[in-house]
Amino acid sequence: MVTITGDHDERALIEAAQADPARFLDLYDLNFHRVYAYVIRRTGVRAEAEDITSQVFERALANLSRFEWRGAPFVAWLYRIAANALADRRRETGRDSSDPPPDVPDGRESEELERRTMLFQLVDRLPEAQRRVIEMRFVEEKSIREVAAVLDRSEGAVKQLQLRALENLRKSMEGRDG
Amino acid sequence: MAEALIDRLDRAIDVIVSRGDASAALADAELAPLAVVASQLRSCPSASFKARLRANLERRTAMSIVLEPTVIREGFTTVTPFIQARDSSFLDFITKAFGAVEIASAPTPNHIHREVRIGDSMLMISERASMASGSPHGSFHIFVPDVDRVFERAIAAGGKSLSAPENRPYGERSGFVEDPLGNYWFIGTSLGPTPVPQGLRTVTPYLHPRSAPSYIDFLARAFGAVEEFRAEHQGVVMHARVRIGDAAVEMGEAPERGENEKPGFYLYVADVDALHERAVAAGAKSILAPADQRYGDRLAMVEDPLGVTWAIARPA
Repeated sequence: MVTITGDHDERALIEAAQADPARFLDLYDLNFHRVYAYVIRRTGVRAEAEDITSQVFERALANLSRFEWRGAPFVAWLYRIAANALADRRRETGRDSSDPPPDVPDGRESEELERRTMLFQLVDRLPEAQRRVIEMRFVEEKSIREVAAVLDRSEGAVKQLQLRALENLRKSMEGRDG
Repeated sequence: MAEALIDRLDRAIDVIVSRGDASAALADAELAPLAVVASQLRSCPSASFKARLRANLERRTAMSIVLEPTVIREGFTTVTPFIQARDSSFLDFITKAFGAVEIASAPTPNHIHREVRIGDSMLMISERASMASGSPHGSFHIFVPDVDRVFERAIAAGGKSLSAPENRPYGERSGFVEDPLGNYWFIGTSLGPTPVPQGLRTVTPYLHPRSAPSYIDFLARAFGAVEEFRAEHQGVVMHARVRIGDAAVEMGEAPERGENEKPGFYLYVADVDALHERAVAAGAKSILAPADQRYGDRLAMVEDPLGVTWAIARPA
């Protein structure tokens, strides 16, 4: 199940984390995929997206006491931190990039990011064998042969898992859109 | 016979992953809906990255009580060595030996509080004539560009040689000096690319617990210390480093130097009362309950199981 948190719940989570930093992990679990989806859209490079995503949550944790609830979703604050981190990175590398500018997403982009977030969360919830195939194929960029060797299964069986995983994801996404 | 969907999908994924191109797959009506999902999966985060970052954050939340950088005064880090002395002889020695510069002093009729800079590191000195003669000793690891020259200067300033400079197996050339008060100075020049190893400052306080693992465990529970490395030889921890907030503290088990050594630290934190409570819960003895001081800091003091005094403070 993808958890959609209401304003009230989110505010309670933030206040809990401000009182006890260990509770920050709840906010991390809820928002990791959103932040990553936003960052990877602007860097395109996995290693850099991981760097920036780490920075976002480290800065958020360090500055959480200064966060004031004004009704905007918590993720908007995280997007702003991410936009600053991306801008810092651009200055450091002096790169003239054709990536989308590091600004906070508008309504249309927010919807797209929510869709990505759902997809990434759905991957986490796939049956374990299917999830591993997706991770190895798309994240580790392994070939079917390599995946088959790691999982000790035939290439045909891995292709079958791959097809089932994608069909599951498509159905779940359609269910949500419809 | 047309190629089965399972194989068409696999070929499409190869192209999508390697070239980011889903156009051919999108033209295939049966394949297209799956190809849309596959293109989006190219940006899927790695599960191990997600778990790793979570573990890092979990460690940080454990130490976040001492991790609020804004409350630390300029030039200071979380941990500042705090030396108790009878007179200005300690200040004289570090001025001559290490080029220490006095930044501030606050004299009262029977006590002087001094703040001193060596390189990029701060030290605090509390001078009190009534200090017992067997005054507490500390140890410091100090990094300089040229250990041989500074070693000579330290000897000329009244230091006693414990070991002349030589290349050590842990990647530095160093010489050891005991100052006139009995403090040890491990003077080193890193044999790495820079004289000061990455992540360290000029001066790092050094302790000599009888058991480093149990002391590290205490520091973690009391002050949120995170172990950075540990070098053991025949069951003895020769050298270990922990990080507290943005500062480092080092240690080596040295039975002959023993636990009667009582250096001290001044620890800048966001919440004095909370850390005082946490340190006492971890086994420290409260010497001074949290209270606002005349000079502005809110201050509490505890003595740890080693006899080390920790002043826990928040600046005004």
